[in-house]
Amino acid sequence: MCGIVGYLGTLEAMPVLFDLLKRLEYRGYDSAGIAIAGNSIRTSKTKGSVDDLVSVTPNVHGNIGIGHTRWATHGRPTSANAHPHCDDARGIAVVHNGIIENYTEIKERLIGRGYEFRSETDTEVLPHLFGEHYCGDLEASVREALSDVRGSYALAAICESEPDKIVVARKGSPLVLGVCGSDFFVASDVAGILKYTRDVIFVEDGEIGVITGDGIRLTTLDGTPVERDVETMDLDPEAAEMSGYEHFMLKEIFEQPAVIRETFSGRVSSGGIDLDLGMDLRDVERIVVLACGTSHNAGLFGRYAIERFSKIPVVVEVASEFRYMNPIIDDRDLVVAITQSGETADTLAAMREAGSRGCKKLGIVNVLGSGMTRECECLFTRAGPEIGVAATKSFTSQLAVLLLLSVALGSDRKVLSTASVNEFVYELRQLGGNIQRVLNDAPAIKECAALFTDADRFLFMGRGANYPIALEGALKLKEISYVPAEGFPAGELKHGPLALISEGVPVIAIATRDTVYDKLLGNIKEVEARGATVVGIASEGDTEITKYVNYVLRIPDTNPLIAPILSSVVLQLFAYYVAYHRGCEIDKPRNLAKSVTVE
Amino acid sequence: MKAVILAAGEGMRCRPLTYTRSKVMLPIANKPTMEYVVQALHDNGITDIVIVVGYAKERAMSYFGNGHDFGVHIDYVEQDQQLGTAHAIKLVEGLVADEFLVLNGDNLVSEKTVADMLKNYSEGSGGTSILTVHKQDTTGYAVVVGSGGRVEKIVEDRKVKNIHNVNTGLYIFDQKIFDAIDETLQSDVGEFGITHSIQQMIDAGNEVCSYRTDSTWMDVVHSWDLLGVNSRILDDVYESIDGRIEGTIGDRADKIVVSDGSVVRAGSHITGPVVIGRDCEIGPNVVIAPSTSIGDNVTIEPFTYIRNSVILDDVYIGSHSTIRNSIIGENNRIDSHFITASGRNLLIELGGILHHADELGSVIGDGNVIGCDVSTDPGTLIGTECRIGTGAVIRGKIPNRAVVI
Repeated sequence: MCGIVGYLGTLEAMPVLFDLLKRLEYRGYDSAGIAIAGNSIRTSKTKGSVDDLVSVTPNVHGNIGIGHTRWATHGRPTSANAHPHCDDARGIAVVHNGIIENYTEIKERLIGRGYEFRSETDTEVLPHLFGEHYCGDLEASVREALSDVRGSYALAAICESEPDKIVVARKGSPLVLGVCGSDFFVASDVAGILKYTRDVIFVEDGEIGVITGDGIRLTTLDGTPVERDVETMDLDPEAAEMSGYEHFMLKEIFEQPAVIRETFSGRVSSGGIDLDLGMDLRDVERIVVLACGTSHNAGLFGRYAIERFSKIPVVVEVASEFRYMNPIIDDRDLVVAITQSGETADTLAAMREAGSRGCKKLGIVNVLGSGMTRECECLFTRAGPEIGVAATKSFTSQLAVLLLLSVALGSDRKVLSTASVNEFVYELRQLGGNIQRVLNDAPAIKECAALFTDADRFLFMGRGANYPIALEGALKLKEISYVPAEGFPAGELKHGPLALISEGVPVIAIATRDTVYDKLLGNIKEVEARGATVVGIASEGDTEITKYVNYVLRIPDTNPLIAPILSSVVLQLFAYYVAYHRGCEIDKPRNLAKSVTVE
Repeated sequence: MKAVILAAGEGMRCRPLTYTRSKVMLPIANKPTMEYVVQALHDNGITDIVIVVGYAKERAMSYFGNGHDFGVHIDYVEQDQQLGTAHAIKLVEGLVADEFLVLNGDNLVSEKTVADMLKNYSEGSGGTSILTVHKQDTTGYAVVVGSGGRVEKIVEDRKVKNIHNVNTGLYIFDQKIFDAIDETLQSDVGEFGITHSIQQMIDAGNEVCSYRTDSTWMDVVHSWDLLGVNSRILDDVYESIDGRIEGTIGDRADKIVVSDGSVVRAGSHITGPVVIGRDCEIGPNVVIAPSTSIGDNVTIEPFTYIRNSVILDDVYIGSHSTIRNSIIGENNRIDSHFITASGRNLLIELGGILHHADELGSVIGDGNVIGCDVSTDPGTLIGTECRIGTGAVIRGKIPNRAVVI
């Protein structure tokens, strides 16, 4: 949800800013802009991607600048609404990620004092507000102005009369600074600056930073100096490259065997599951899962696994709803928040809301050092950086971690015997290899997807733990191919969705062997009788299924609660190839961004 | 100088292992063959690499990524159809300037091999150069005929009396090669091997040099050749124990690698050279005898004996099994009392031709499920995704997805 960048140092700022923006483009790509400090502030901005920006920007010299890539919230994606926004009178330029909640009020007040607004954005109040407070010290004016501001922000500002510094501030949106000798970098995400340096400083909520050639100085909003050590990140700076793949999404799908081995490493052995959780969960009476989007689908799967293995009741809530429904939570509850980025604004806020009621808190997170990791104890999914906007490896690794959590809880509570834990561990240790076998079958899935390039809708159905996988399969498909697709519990079809079925409408049925397999075959009969073309995802060796469906995609035979992970990989490839055959922009689906850091 | 690695081929003679991976990804001491090539380039300061991928390209691309983990930068070019080495090299036109090095990704080379080529080249007269090695038996190789380091002729598929200089597939070319390839591709011969293009250059009066090396150059022709190459490379590993060994260690303790997260339980005995990957559970009471490589996430149950074998990732081997001179592909589930009988001087039929194997147990592809008490005759080849029932005795070749009762 918008990426901000900044650079101050020995290099030409413009190419560095473009490069940083390219790396943050997954956060938004509907408009972009930069501002370079010098004798005057020179800005360039445009509707469209960073590449579009590069092509319209004349060569500007200077060693200090800021930049922005936008995912529109307030105001349509236009050149006027693109950042940086400026206060011309004082020569101040600002880039901002977040939402200024009281901007209308501030805007009216400023208009009353003669300020002119050129955009529809909330952000534009910031440069004017800084300008209004400006008395020769940008830092002081930012500090004073922010006391009037409600909402969330990560921002960077430069000023014409102090062309040797960048002022940054953070509240509620991510912000990280990179240090490499006398070169300094600003970004919304570590991934942006890793190419230049692994030494970073995380700016925390309520802090202001001043970057000059001499270094970085952090203070709190009220002016108290803050000492913060430089952290060295252990990440591959070039992970954000496609390495021969046509799309990040495909690259990330094919990384899954290695990802799952990494997720399990040190946690799964014949001795059982060892999650190294620093908390006692024995007296937990209920688990509440909070998440959005794909992570919410993972949470729904988690419910089946946890209830099955540990007999602890689970509810799964959409984080953006949970926050506002006055939730009933107390100290007997464990609240589990699932977020790939660890920065999902609604999930973070929901977790804080729950935490204020005294529950135990656990995060399931992919990104180290992200907001959620400062909020509570976290289990890391270890999927590595995920760049494709459509979540793939982060989803399967979430499912895998939820399985581990459910087995750990079940074995703690003696619901699962040691023998059944061992049996399950045996199956888990095969998972990486089994995913590889699904990937070996990619050509067959590609061929099957080609048959449905022109379909105008898709239905996905499954029962039990496969129901969330049907939801995720549908979500993946609509995200990247723009074809309406819905997932249903198979038994629900006759209560409405069956009306969507007509001759040739593709129905994807997740029909792996489990306790409701026979019921599902009945549901397949129902859609088939109404003319649907059915693609079944079935366990290998299942010969029965071929009598019921038009096409079969196979997964290796495994435990019914592990099979959904394999089915997910099939559905990821299916969605990818449908979008591919339709010629869609797979890594940058329209209107979407990777981490939703606004509410 | 940039390097181009040819990695598009399937390597049909390495089936069943190459049903699911390209030949360059065959593991030697737990690393893909091509990693040795990349390492050799890196150690010679060549860090700009183009890899021509094709068959099962995803595995190679996922493993090597952009080269960062290997200290190099890798770009990929895809060869959709395997139309030979000339066609593959033509694909990199425009990506490599001036002179460039070409290597096969499936030939094992050392730092010194590449250094020999670079040194000879820099001392020589430049232009097109071929690295050769001495082979007593030249069957299956192209022999390089010439005098005083100047190549007169490259002869494929035919022995030439008293000539034992064989082509390693390691070349240095300049931009002229692309014109020669154009001519080759337009010819009616239907053969798009790069040696034809080189011959074309010689015939047109260009100087082509050859240099002989005595450094490492190993070729896996058949799947079972992996065992020999693996044992040669294992002789060069150095002790590194990041996992835990509760059992005892026999001779060659300096040649044992146990990676992070793996445990070798009490009563087990390991005699080096042996390499064990990450997150393995071995034993108790398992014997691992010399020249064995075991991949990541492998489980080996008690009273199993393994000797001179290559076990790939995610394999489960039940108790009381004996595995000798064999290769077990990824993700096999093998129940107890599995025996691979081993024999010498075998003749194995591949594609209608009999091939020779010095000593071999079995070669087993990926993803098979093998029941209790199964044994395999010497020289058995099992495909991928087969199901083999309890008590079966397997011989010959088992096709993919077969069910054996």
